[in-house]
Amino acid sequence: MLEIINASLKLGGKELFKGLTFSLKEGDVVCIRGNSGCGKTTLLKAILGFLPLDEGVISCNGEPINAESAEVFRGMMTYIPQELALPSENVADMVKLPFTLKANRERKYSKLDLMKEWGKLNLSEDLYDKKVSQLSGGQRQRIMISVSGMLGKLIILADEPTSALDAETSALVADYFQSLAAKGAIVVAVSHDNNFANRCNMIVNI
Amino acid sequence: MGTIDITYGSLVIGLLLLLIPLYFFYKFGATLVKSTIIAAARMVVQLFLIGLYLKYLFAWNSPLINLLWVMIMVFVASATATKRTGLKRKLVFIPLCVGLFTTALFVGLYFLIFVVHLEHPFEARYFIPIMGILMGNMLGVNVMALNTYYDGLQRERQLYYYLLGNGASHVEAIAPFVRQAMEKAFSPCIANMAVMGIVSLPGTMIGQILGGSDPDVAIKYQMLIIVITFTASMLSLMITIYFANKNSFDNYGRLLEVKKKS
Repeated sequence: MLEIINASLKLGGKELFKGLTFSLKEGDVVCIRGNSGCGKTTLLKAILGFLPLDEGVISCNGEPINAESAEVFRGMMTYIPQELALPSENVADMVKLPFTLKANRERKYSKLDLMKEWGKLNLSEDLYDKKVSQLSGGQRQRIMISVSGMLGKLIILADEPTSALDAETSALVADYFQSLAAKGAIVVAVSHDNNFANRCNMIVNI
Repeated sequence: MGTIDITYGSLVIGLLLLLIPLYFFYKFGATLVKSTIIAAARMVVQLFLIGLYLKYLFAWNSPLINLLWVMIMVFVASATATKRTGLKRKLVFIPLCVGLFTTALFVGLYFLIFVVHLEHPFEARYFIPIMGILMGNMLGVNVMALNTYYDGLQRERQLYYYLLGNGASHVEAIAPFVRQAMEKAFSPCIANMAVMGIVSLPGTMIGQILGGSDPDVAIKYQMLIIVITFTASMLSLMITIYFANKNSFDNYGRLLEVKKKS
């Protein structure tokens, strides 16, 4: 259970959101919507425990996420930033990076499993042997999403996961998140994409 | 066999060689003429002063004074490194002091006690030059590594947050940036080590040979000088980064403002 209770946050004197309350249980896929600069990404960062709220509480399974507890809760999360260049030359190395972290060691990396996830996201197996620089933005986004899916975490946080995708592929990503939620995950995605939002169980406008 | 002394007249004749690079800087409009003249003047004055105070240090030969001298070297090196990195003083000055001082003493004394087998490891003739050579090398590596480390963290914040957001501990999240810093700072040292004796004849060895030492002795000293400077550079960097990190991130793991406002 992930709860955001009466959350308020200002950045640089500007109020981003106030009195924000919603709760999510396993199986939920929520889309956070709002105008640019309204604090959608900041909310994700607050859930990750990267910054404190001015008011309110974010809790996971009844325990508040704060500076002291953040590292433990991050072990239960996976985060997909909007644009990210991982320091790997090859796709094969890029996808393995999160599996090298201690918190994810129980999750064994398998190329076979990755290819199954890629199939669901309409990614060609050939991409595995390419250089990261040869990928399109949309391919890189979906690869990152597939890696997060493989980590099998309780909470999946995605920042604009479909920003580089067409409507058809965006629907594919929404369905992929639904499949992860069906296995017990909670998905929180920030998106401007209405096509994607309409395929989520819940929309939170901020 | 002693070293042939250079008279002050000959020293001036030697220094005249600097006119050649100065001419080319001038001819091609490089903005280095003034800074080269200032640097050369500083070098001459500083080395004359060093010659003077080394005479006293060697004459007194007091462990306490020698240690005090090392503390002054650490203080100056830390202040220089802080300035050259452009990082906030409160962030790196103390970590640099701790890193340079503890490493110089540990590695320097290890060398003097267990390798050279000195009866009095604080003997000025050995202790001061070894500390000096360690300090010079540690300074260069720390400046380059700290610059690379903090530039990387600032430029690639997304990667840092990605790793934390996927369960990385703080050490795991900063690891790519430490790795980049090491690779950039140590690559020249490794390249230099690899061509030692073929492409370059290093200073310690030349100094010893000119001072009348047997080449067999000189090469052994040279090898170990390279090893102790390499080790000390790494150890001091790790200590400096460890302590600097305590002031670089807030409780939430966010990187604070690290550069001085220009």
